[in-house]
Amino acid sequence: MDETVKKYTTRKEFFKQYKKKSRLQETWNRFLRNKLAVIGLIIFVFIVLAAVVAPLIADYETDAIKINVPNRLKSPNAEHIFGTDELGRDIMARIVHGARISLVVGFAAVALALFIGGALGAIAGYFGGKIDEVIMRCMDVFLCLPDVLLALAIVAAFGTNLVNMTIAIGLSFTPKFSRVVRSAVMTVRGIEYVEAARAIGATNTQIITNHVLINCFGPIVVQVTLYVASAILTISALSFIGLGIQAPIPEWGNMLASGRVYMRDHAYIVMAPGLAIFVTILSLNLLGDGLRDALDPRLK
Amino acid sequence: MEIKKINEQENTLEIKNLVIHYISDEEVVKAVNGVNIIIKAGRTLGLVGETGAGKTTTALSILNLVPEPQGKILSGEILLEGRSVLAMSELELEVIRGDKVAMIFQDPMTSLNPVHTVGHQIAESIEIHRKVSKEEALKQAKEMLELVGIPGERSNEYPYQFSGGMKQRVVIAIALTCSPDLLIADEPTTALDVTIQAQVLRLINELRQKYHMSMLMITHDLGIVAEVCDEVSIAYAGRIIEHGTLEDIFDHMRHPYTKGLFDALPDIGVRRSELKPVKGLMPDPTNLPSGCPFHPRCDYVMDICSQSPPENKWISETHSVECHLYKDTNESML
Repeated sequence: MDETVKKYTTRKEFFKQYKKKSRLQETWNRFLRNKLAVIGLIIFVFIVLAAVVAPLIADYETDAIKINVPNRLKSPNAEHIFGTDELGRDIMARIVHGARISLVVGFAAVALALFIGGALGAIAGYFGGKIDEVIMRCMDVFLCLPDVLLALAIVAAFGTNLVNMTIAIGLSFTPKFSRVVRSAVMTVRGIEYVEAARAIGATNTQIITNHVLINCFGPIVVQVTLYVASAILTISALSFIGLGIQAPIPEWGNMLASGRVYMRDHAYIVMAPGLAIFVTILSLNLLGDGLRDALDPRLK
Repeated sequence: MEIKKINEQENTLEIKNLVIHYISDEEVVKAVNGVNIIIKAGRTLGLVGETGAGKTTTALSILNLVPEPQGKILSGEILLEGRSVLAMSELELEVIRGDKVAMIFQDPMTSLNPVHTVGHQIAESIEIHRKVSKEEALKQAKEMLELVGIPGERSNEYPYQFSGGMKQRVVIAIALTCSPDLLIADEPTTALDVTIQAQVLRLINELRQKYHMSMLMITHDLGIVAEVCDEVSIAYAGRIIEHGTLEDIFDHMRHPYTKGLFDALPDIGVRRSELKPVKGLMPDPTNLPSGCPFHPRCDYVMDICSQSPPENKWISETHSVECHLYKDTNESML
């Protein structure tokens, strides 16, 4: 008999080959085909893991905070892979504990921006007209200020601590998210299923949360990854100029700042935090680009 | 007096002199210019017309869903079982939408939300209008799926896993969940191929009779009209130019445009016959011709046609026409 019949013993199995893969599966396969994006994902997962297991790698109090002057300015060696800083603290320990702060503040700030900006953008995009004008013109005013400057102003006004910095960065990113969500919502709003939802008597709130926002998921995820990178950079920038995380708490930006005096003779001091920032941002950007291509295949 | 009252009660839908324009900064699109429609309880009205004749806008206005802020209902009255739709608050409208009046949309590919399971989408309507738990709603959703001929266990599959015809069945299931009094079907078979069209039409017809619903069937396919409708209204440039029972329109058509529509149908018996299209194009709705909107395309055009719009004349108990060719009852010039 012919091959096909032998190959598929039952009818069910025969039809199985035509069964469509789920969307998630398809997106994931497209993502895997993009080598750079996969590298980005691997690096980022590695960084997140390092941050999670930081207390196992090095103790926060004894290795990352406690000053140990006799041990200062040691070049990288077996005991301290990235060497020690000007106060004798292990740089590796400070990097992994710094990653926790960068990631937590980065994601928290973006979550805040997404929540406020997303809500405003969804309202503006869904209702349109005057509401849209008022909200978006307010956002435009914020958008005129560079985000570091805006964050700086907020931190300077309310004092420098973790919460204030998260709020500062979150607020400075809000207008960007409102624009992204608004444009995504405006595209989805015109599709017939939104009208169909209205025709079965759904309220505006139900339509926005249940039908519109959930279909804007793709562009939002992409923006989140890209802006987390941007947020981490802003945290480091603020810390570098002394308005962010304060010493002795380890943070990549303030490690760079305090190490730059010793840069000529002990370059490794700034190399490690600099590389940490660079690699994190790069991995997030690769990941974001890969996600965008995977979620919207028409874009390519 | 008493009899008249009962008659009024029997009308599921009554639209009187409805005018809807889309107003933007540059232009005014005159979509609907004085439409009158009556649908009696349990009856099906076919609304036939070319693209741009104002069919869909009329349908959307019944649920007060004309796209804001451009779409403006300038005048007219829409009575749903005697209650004015245009006077209702947004809250009252939400209660009516999907419960009293349900809509079947044209394209099942876009009218289902791709991220929710079909069961969820059917259950949504039940949850909104009936005070039931989510589990109960999902159970009823499964029953609805069975009713439209889809196995209940497929309720937790997503729209992309269904073919076009099955998606339209799901859309029908959503429309029928709350057993509405009036079903609006906006070209329900346009996006489907011919064999599936027949199935879907049969299904709509069966369920409509089972639940004694009234229906407004919007289409440009006269074959569908012949199959499912009791009465027909022919729309042209936002007006109903001829109205009558199926027999009135198909066998005793009066308006030159209606005649043109039937002439444009291919005759399956005579293979070689050429199609006779209605000459010219649908007028630009931003700049309608003076007088009768059809006069530039009409074979029987007279001087008066471009000067004054024709009035609606009843030529029999059931049959009305808007054309200067007809002066009084039964006076035929065609």
